[in-house]
Amino acid sequence: MKALKILLILLLLGGASAATVMYSGIVNVAADEPHSDIVYWLLEETREASIKKSAQHIKVPDLESPELLLMGGADYEYMCSSCHLKPGLEESDMSIGLYPQPPNLSISHETHQHGTDEELARKNFWVIKHGIKASGMPAWGKTHSDERIWAMVAFIKRLPTLTPEQYQVLTAID
Amino acid sequence: MKTNFIKTVGKIALILVPAITLSMNASAHDPKMHAKKAEKADCSKMDHSKMDMKDPVAVAMMKKCMKQSKSSMEKMDHSKMKEMDHSKMKGMDHSKMKGMDHSKMEKKEN
Repeated sequence: MKALKILLILLLLGGASAATVMYSGIVNVAADEPHSDIVYWLLEETREASIKKSAQHIKVPDLESPELLLMGGADYEYMCSSCHLKPGLEESDMSIGLYPQPPNLSISHETHQHGTDEELARKNFWVIKHGIKASGMPAWGKTHSDERIWAMVAFIKRLPTLTPEQYQVLTAID
Repeated sequence: MKTNFIKTVGKIALILVPAITLSMNASAHDPKMHAKKAEKADCSKMDHSKMDMKDPVAVAMMKKCMKQSKSSMEKMDHSKMKEMDHSKMKGMDHSKMKGMDHSKMEKKEN
């Protein structure tokens, strides 16, 4: 009985502390003020674990078709390039201003990603389809078919190998 | 006293206004970046000799450029081309026109 009372008091204290922090306004939500290292690490690990778990059963189709590159290229240019950049564009208003900073997908995956090609394709598909809360990444699956999202995944896979000239041709309108 | 105050304010404004204007221009982005224009594929820089036709990127680029070329050909008004007066086309080097199938060419009757 005594232990239950202590537990209740601790819960009340915890709730009151959380409410004080929430409503006092002391938490800085400005995007130009980065999180502390520990908060950033906690959020990043949580995000990566969540994506890995959610995407683990997704079946990856053949991503080598030229048609997929053409379909995905046009969508990438209009939906993704302003944040995730493209060959010849090293920064943009969005890539500088967003926090967390969107990854630059025009550079090699090896520098900022881990895992096999298939794991990366699964992860990219899931992120494009479902988006990421409070990060600026939209859920494109609400308005785009799985086929179009896989086309974007195929294009993103080849993106770091493209020259600005190749990118221009692949992403131009018909 | 009042004149001095106005002079001081004037001097400050003279320094601040250009400084603020210049600094705003320096930090502002180029508005052209927001005007996304639909661009046609620039196929002129494609070097076919260096292209590996087993590479999906090369095949995709070829497809895009062929489709664009076909589309622009279709937009040309060929009906008006029958009235072309070939006799006025001086300087054409027919010796270089290899591979032309003359049997398919419409003969102009005078």
